[in-house]
Amino acid sequence: MERIREHPILGEPEKGKTVKFTFDGKEIEGYEGEPIAVALKAAGVMVHRYTKKEHKPRGIFCAIGRCTDCVMVVDGKPNIRTCVTPLAEGMKVQTQYAVSAKEDHVS
Amino acid sequence: MKRYDLIVVGAGPSGLSAAIEAARQGLSVIVFDENEKPGGQLFKQIHKFFGSKEHKAKIRGYQIGRELLAEADKVGVQVKLNTTVIGMYQDKEITVCIEENVRHYKGDSIIIATGAAENMVTFEGWTLPGVIGAGAAQTLMNLHGVKPGAKILMLGSGNVGLVVSFQLMQCGCEVVALVDAAPTIGGYGVHAAKVARCGVPFYLSHTITKAEGKDHVTGVVISEVDNNFQPIPGTEKHFDVDTICVAVGLSPMSQLLKMAGCKMEDHPRRGGEVPVVDAYGETSISGVFAAGDVSGIEEASSAMIEGRMAGVCAATYLGFCEKEEKEEILSGLSKDLDSLRQGMFAPKNRGKNIDKTEEGIAVSDNLLQKGYIADDEIERYPGVTDKKGIHPVIECSQNIPCNPCQDACSRKCIKIGKKMTSLPSINDEAECSGCGMCVASCSGQAIFLVKEDDEEGYATVTLPYEFLPLPQKGEKGVALSRSGKKCCEAEIVEIRNVPAFDHTSLLTMKVPIDMVKTARFFQASQKGGDRYG
Repeated sequence: MERIREHPILGEPEKGKTVKFTFDGKEIEGYEGEPIAVALKAAGVMVHRYTKKEHKPRGIFCAIGRCTDCVMVVDGKPNIRTCVTPLAEGMKVQTQYAVSAKEDHVS
Repeated sequence: MKRYDLIVVGAGPSGLSAAIEAARQGLSVIVFDENEKPGGQLFKQIHKFFGSKEHKAKIRGYQIGRELLAEADKVGVQVKLNTTVIGMYQDKEITVCIEENVRHYKGDSIIIATGAAENMVTFEGWTLPGVIGAGAAQTLMNLHGVKPGAKILMLGSGNVGLVVSFQLMQCGCEVVALVDAAPTIGGYGVHAAKVARCGVPFYLSHTITKAEGKDHVTGVVISEVDNNFQPIPGTEKHFDVDTICVAVGLSPMSQLLKMAGCKMEDHPRRGGEVPVVDAYGETSISGVFAAGDVSGIEEASSAMIEGRMAGVCAATYLGFCEKEEKEEILSGLSKDLDSLRQGMFAPKNRGKNIDKTEEGIAVSDNLLQKGYIADDEIERYPGVTDKKGIHPVIECSQNIPCNPCQDACSRKCIKIGKKMTSLPSINDEAECSGCGMCVASCSGQAIFLVKEDDEEGYATVTLPYEFLPLPQKGEKGVALSRSGKKCCEAEIVEIRNVPAFDHTSLLTMKVPIDMVKTARFFQASQKGGDRYG
């Protein structure tokens, strides 16, 4: 989804420096310090994880760290709430299947 | 274990206000907040607030947030961020999760100002990525500068649903429809009217029956509901959308108070399970207070007053503040709070069917059902009058505690009087200078300047405009009516934007004279799609 370049009330969004990170191995750019979920949203990523039992997709829902729908595997650690975790250079972000980055963990 | 005179949980409007008031009285205060930044939801509120000068009316929410933070800093309030209070026990002891450790703190008094969480409704496909809370939309667009979606359907016509719909359009999203299962719009009519005049259709007595899409939302189906809120088969309507935004109310986050053993009650008008509190927020445990949405869902303006009350009471409880001083402060704050709890939308009127204003004028059915006042209803209201020369037309039709327009006019053209909820009326004696301060000061964007004798056959209408791109002088387009329908050709003859307007631009458009009471919004011609046709 598109970033807002200029806002009638808020002006231009204040952002940190551009950093590179990977999403499922693909290199993406985002701004340092913004939530990982925001960088993913700006890159058009909608699905953050698939549920364990029914393999249903989940993405951003509350965006304030409450609902845990947006959790992903970040730098090898599962269940990271991407909507409240700041983005850093070189982060490895992966779609989460159940509690793993490997798709075969969902059955 | 660290010990403080006062521990405040939550650094939103009420928590910060409580901490400021207590710190002023000399208490050592610490505020814990689980978020990365303080201010609660204030920094997502980009509209001008309602109320009076004392309630920071016509100031935008984020600006109020900045002022609160500066004040907290000045009086030495310590705010600990990224810290989640996870427990509250006997003798005012709390456990706090900091990074991956759990630490214990003790307060001689505690104020819980944890706010509220969004409610949700379920429908087929509601877990699909692309179905988001209205709060999530505000967070994404107003804090992080990313559009929540391209084409969005909003469910919920309370103030959150209305305000967020407008904000979505301000950042460049398209809102395809606003839907509510209730038969009438829940939020302020003026908020609905500014969404409706942009062309957004309202579907009352409708609900979402299905979110479509495999991996994420690609469409939505809504259906009309019967008197029991059950979808009526055969009434389905489909919209292509990528995002569904849900704004169906808030529930107090009162778990900590319950855990500590405070007496609780189920109070539907306050939004759910809330602590039993006295007039100043003290719970059944002395020295433990609740302030803001956690003790009943209201507005940020009242949350700030409740916070100040709890802060003063905590100070008195610990002997920092003399009884007389406390009573003096509390009586002033009580008066302020009471003045905010008046009018049609007052907590005591929730769920009541009000069909007349305080002045005895019939409320607009069209406003409640479609989001705009119909042409044959508009002239009932005292702010809508005819006059020679330039003059304000105030399309304010509900009793809301709000009066900045009265003070905005230096020539005293606008009368509300002492009672803040009264509808504004026009003072025939005074002469309008056309300065536009009233237009920019109206938090509901309900004031227009009209000049009927501008040039033979034409009139001008000046309207508040908070969108980009800003039209240019001389630009031609179409004027939209209150209902958002194209009503005539229009040409921009003036654009004003001064610091005193606080980011609200004033567009003056020239329209045929017979459209002077109808034309209320401008749409540049190059953008005019069939939505406005």
